[in-house]
Amino acid sequence: MAYLTQPDYVKYACSCGQIKPITSLYFCRHCLQIRCGFCICHEVDSHYCANCLENMPSSEARLKKNRCSSCFDCPSCFHTLSTRATLAQPRQTPEQGSGDSKVENKQAKKMYYLSCFNCRWTSRDVGIPDQPVASGGWPERVNPNATRINQLLDYYKAIAQQEKQEKLDRERKKFAIRGKYITLTDKTGLTGAMARNIAGLPSSESTMSAIANFVPSEASADVEELSEDFYTKELNLNQMTSMPQRLAAPEWQPSSVSRLYPIAKLLSVKRSQRCRACDHNLTKPEYNPGSIKFKIELLAFYHVPEVKIISYEPIKPGCTSALLLKLTNPTGHEMQVRLLQPEEVPDTEDRLEEPKSLEKSLEKSLNLEKDNLWYETVQRKADVTATCRVVTPDVTLTLAQRDDAAEYDDDATHDANDIILWRKSNKLALRLQVSCGAEVGAASAAEAALALQYRYRNTVPAAHEPRDHTLHATLLLQLGHVSG
Amino acid sequence: MTHYRYSIKILPGATVCEDCTLEGDITIGGGTVIHPRVTIIAEGGPIIIAEYCIIEEYSTIIHKKNEQPENPPKPLFIGAHNVFEVGCRLESLCGHIGESNVFECKSFVGTDVKIGSGCVIGAACSLTTPQTLPDNTVIWGSEHNNREALEKQPSQLLQLDFLGKVMPNYHRLRKSNVHKRQMSRQSQEPAKS
Ligand SMILES: [Zn+2]
Ligand SMILES: [Zn+2]
Ligand SMILES: [Zn+2]
Ligand SMILES: [Zn+2]
Repeated sequence: MAYLTQPDYVKYACSCGQIKPITSLYFCRHCLQIRCGFCICHEVDSHYCANCLENMPSSEARLKKNRCSSCFDCPSCFHTLSTRATLAQPRQTPEQGSGDSKVENKQAKKMYYLSCFNCRWTSRDVGIPDQPVASGGWPERVNPNATRINQLLDYYKAIAQQEKQEKLDRERKKFAIRGKYITLTDKTGLTGAMARNIAGLPSSESTMSAIANFVPSEASADVEELSEDFYTKELNLNQMTSMPQRLAAPEWQPSSVSRLYPIAKLLSVKRSQRCRACDHNLTKPEYNPGSIKFKIELLAFYHVPEVKIISYEPIKPGCTSALLLKLTNPTGHEMQVRLLQPEEVPDTEDRLEEPKSLEKSLEKSLNLEKDNLWYETVQRKADVTATCRVVTPDVTLTLAQRDDAAEYDDDATHDANDIILWRKSNKLALRLQVSCGAEVGAASAAEAALALQYRYRNTVPAAHEPRDHTLHATLLLQLGHVSG
Repeated sequence: MTHYRYSIKILPGATVCEDCTLEGDITIGGGTVIHPRVTIIAEGGPIIIAEYCIIEEYSTIIHKKNEQPENPPKPLFIGAHNVFEVGCRLESLCGHIGESNVFECKSFVGTDVKIGSGCVIGAACSLTTPQTLPDNTVIWGSEHNNREALEKQPSQLLQLDFLGKVMPNYHRLRKSNVHKRQMSRQSQEPAKS
């Protein structure tokens, strides 16, 4: 809970050089490295609607423009709309004389309308008639520019097709010069166009005609005149839509609130995440949209020793202050931990020496092509230059394995010494010293870097690989501000 | 303080829990439901609550004392079908609150706010500056967005009906102490002014 509501006082360095709290880091069990959202591969698993929890295959989702067909968002505040029922009394016309029809008319019919519980917008506000069925049946609006958009789509598809064909032709020419052999298509006279016909692809003629018949749009100088009273009429801001409201419906961009229509709800995706270096899954959600569990969930929180700050003395320039830390072993195996200075962490061999700029990594991360070069580029050494230095004692600490039953007995064992404050099942409290440089100015942020060396047991190691490993984690502690 | 107790008028049909703080000259109209732990303080003048209002737990309605007290003090009149949700607070010097308003949870309405009819003060919204809310104004969200609804908020008659039946089973209630004939005269008087 503290991770959700409080600032991140303790941050870990990812293998890509980003510094993040442990809750947003992953741990690849195959590379034995910490990974983060920046340096892993995100893949869309399935599309679903967050409101009605309906699953949708990606092809259908694309067809429906990634929107749910039965759920709507409020066009005024973007909250999900709810369906409300009313009993509508059918209108009675006074001319109706016979008693039978009167009895029939008195039967109230259930009618449904959409309503927002947040801003109290209802579908009646814009004159959408109530519907006799609870879901669906809401009038669909046609995009005024639908034909033009389809034209453009066809045109660009044709251009893409043509460019692909040209590239193919060029490639074949190159090949023909080099190769001595006649390809099958050359020998049988089977041309590319015919091959496409057989395969059912659009023929080059149709692409040609699509390109030829395309009419580019033209800018016009004729602009509709503003109405006479445009500058004098008093503006009622309640009748005008806000910018977010207009942009939520890009096809119509209504300027008046009377033209706000329900927005079909956008679909959400379930995604799985993959390590870029070894292609193993780091997280994989369960397929069912109603489930929030994971089939694979390699989070750093379950594998890397967790460090929390208990308390610290105010940091003063040129002085040492006490720092109390809590170490937790989240794994099911006993863990040996040593505290190191960040410089003492050995470089892994595949880590390149030269420092990489973040801009370059970012640029690469946007590139979809998967290659190892990418990975080498994003891999950087974390910049953990800190104002303070934790005095690291040369001891090996043993953390017991996690034991959920031990939660219930609360007698902390006091094998306390200079460093160990207390010990309780898989947790350990440490008393350390932080020294702050004399040159550090007052009121600057006090940060201390620390490295952990820990023994990690891989519970499902690959064949011929050792079970136990010595791993490192570098972390940055936020210790408030330097007091003057 | 004791003389205040006698000036609380509960009209027949009103459901008023005993576990609430009512101070000053207060009239509660028929069909109105007042939940437990409600505070209504009429220190600046009488408070008149019309019919079919719902006042939920921990809501506070205060008729504040004016700096230049008038004689006789003007009443604070709260129209029919108003809903005061849990923890809302309405402070007013005097005046008239329309009907079919909704004061959502934890909302705050300060002293110089005039409220028409059919308004909704959203959850945790606080109105402190002097202003007048025209009819059917809806205020919501942390940004205090506002819009104008087309029609008044639907009345809570079903809910009132339900509460009127259920509340006596679980709470001690105050008895009505005014007869029907008196009620009709009293509730009409402020409406005219
Ligand atoms: Zn990373
Ligand atoms: Zn849906
Ligand atoms: Zn809304
Ligand atoms: Zn990996």
